[in-house]
Amino acid sequence: MKRRKKISIGKLLCGFIMMLLALCMLVPLLNILARSLSQPDLVHGLKGYDILPKGFSTVNYQVILGQPIVIRSILNSLFITVAGVFLNIILTASAAYVLTRPGLVGKKVFMYFFIIMMIFEPGIVQEYFLMKNIHLLDNLFSMVIYRSVNVYYLIILMRFMEEVPASIQEAARIDGAGHFDVLFKIMIPLSRIPLITVGMFYAVFRWNEFFKSSIFLTSKNHTVLQVLLRQFVVNSDSQVIVGAANILANNNIAQLDNGSLKAATIVVAVVPILLLYPVILKYYTNGVMSGGVKE
Amino acid sequence: MAKRKAGGAQSKLKRIWRDRVLYLTLLPTLLYFFVFHVIPIIGMKLAFYDYRIKGDNVFVGFTYFKKLFSTPVFFQILENTLIISAMKIFLFFPMPIIFAIMLNEFKAGPFRKSVQVISYLPHFLSWVVIAGIWFEFLSPSTGILNSVLSNLGFGKVNLLTSKGSIRWVLLASESWRSIGWDSIVYLTAIMGIDPTLYEAAKIDGANRFQIVGNIVLPALAVTMVTVLILNIGFFMNAGLDQVLNFTNAAVNSKIDIIDTYVYRIGLQNSQYSLATAANLFKGVIGTLLIVSTHLFSKKLTGKGAW
Repeated sequence: MKRRKKISIGKLLCGFIMMLLALCMLVPLLNILARSLSQPDLVHGLKGYDILPKGFSTVNYQVILGQPIVIRSILNSLFITVAGVFLNIILTASAAYVLTRPGLVGKKVFMYFFIIMMIFEPGIVQEYFLMKNIHLLDNLFSMVIYRSVNVYYLIILMRFMEEVPASIQEAARIDGAGHFDVLFKIMIPLSRIPLITVGMFYAVFRWNEFFKSSIFLTSKNHTVLQVLLRQFVVNSDSQVIVGAANILANNNIAQLDNGSLKAATIVVAVVPILLLYPVILKYYTNGVMSGGVKE
Repeated sequence: MAKRKAGGAQSKLKRIWRDRVLYLTLLPTLLYFFVFHVIPIIGMKLAFYDYRIKGDNVFVGFTYFKKLFSTPVFFQILENTLIISAMKIFLFFPMPIIFAIMLNEFKAGPFRKSVQVISYLPHFLSWVVIAGIWFEFLSPSTGILNSVLSNLGFGKVNLLTSKGSIRWVLLASESWRSIGWDSIVYLTAIMGIDPTLYEAAKIDGANRFQIVGNIVLPALAVTMVTVLILNIGFFMNAGLDQVLNFTNAAVNSKIDIIDTYVYRIGLQNSQYSLATAANLFKGVIGTLLIVSTHLFSKKLTGKGAW
């Protein structure tokens, strides 16, 4: 077949639209970054479509990261994310292993139970009361336990574990290996790609969660980053971060641009996602792209 | 498995005993669901009771449901939920399909890869962050939109505080977040098309539009139907996280949805029974929708929600 050298108008138009869409997604993000790195006295000249900072200064980050409450909330978010994903993986992987054992009595009942749990969500008033009754209100562990198992991910993991040839597992069992040996030495290493993928999705969910955190974690000390960010960026309550006393007392802060401080906080909240993003692309998207989708 | 037939109940017990370690391993997960899902779901019976701080709650039957359905605000909220959902499901629906088809016009390479990497990213940002970005984007003083508008000679607009535009802002930000990510499922289906079909079409002299119309779109039909049906299952969820971040006093009456209503009257105004009634109403309708759309989709296309 002869290769056409001429690029058609249709394709050119497609390329133009794609590029425009990509710019619509990229430019606002870069603009936030530029705003956060601009010099406070020059930032008023920064237009919405500028992607390079006006001047260069890290003062916004110094101020933001100099606030104890910001550091506190970052650490809280990190703790909930790390401990939460650990719990997610342990529970999801072990449940998927158990539910894919051949001849397990009651498997159907368990599956129906889990699917009902997936469809019917508890009411928020009741969830609040529950946390209160078991004394987890305003305790970081309320958010660690919250959503410990996502049934949808459980089903995905089960589909992968079903694919592991039974002969490998049986051979191990004959050699005297117990269920835990099979789970940790065979199943988890063999399904590490779906495990990492699911772990990444859990991590993104946990890092980004703000609604339940704002309900369960009531005191300032236990605030997570997204909740703080919401008060600052969405509700424009700059005192939560900078503090009323600071605004009055600290000349440095008074001269700063509120928009730039917000931008810097947004960047801080996005950085962990950007760190995970390449891993997600590598494990999830590439798998989908290369046609490895199960029917 | 001849044993199963012969042994009956006894061999079942035997198998349960054999697998005791497995059941023990499953126990933490079962316990989690029991404590954090089953107990609060049972607690939703509060919708039929008067809440008492001290002593037992008093059974009042459907009083709170009657109260709910006689509240004019509730119908406004129901309407908002349905309109916003409908916009997000039906108006957004063709976007990722068109996106995937256009992306497919480009061979794997740096351009295609960059578009993919950029367009999938917003899916992973929290609604708090997206709201922050969009507030900047739509800002009357510094935003791109108003910079462009004023360069074209138009006046400044604030779409975030206008009742007429806020639902469109929700649709636009949802599209911004999901168009790339949601196109993956279609792109996968396109890549599953047998290459010989293209070759045959080319030999027959078909142009790109004919190829898209006669080969690509039919190949996407099953995926399209499945996605549409399953999305309809989530009609009662109009996007709590998004609304909470985009709402403000000027526009709240236009985008107040069931979830935000439950949150407000339940946890902020402490009308526990009324909030639970609204929540239960949403939960029951939502469950019926999800189950029926799942079964319908499974029957029609062989693919369900799980």
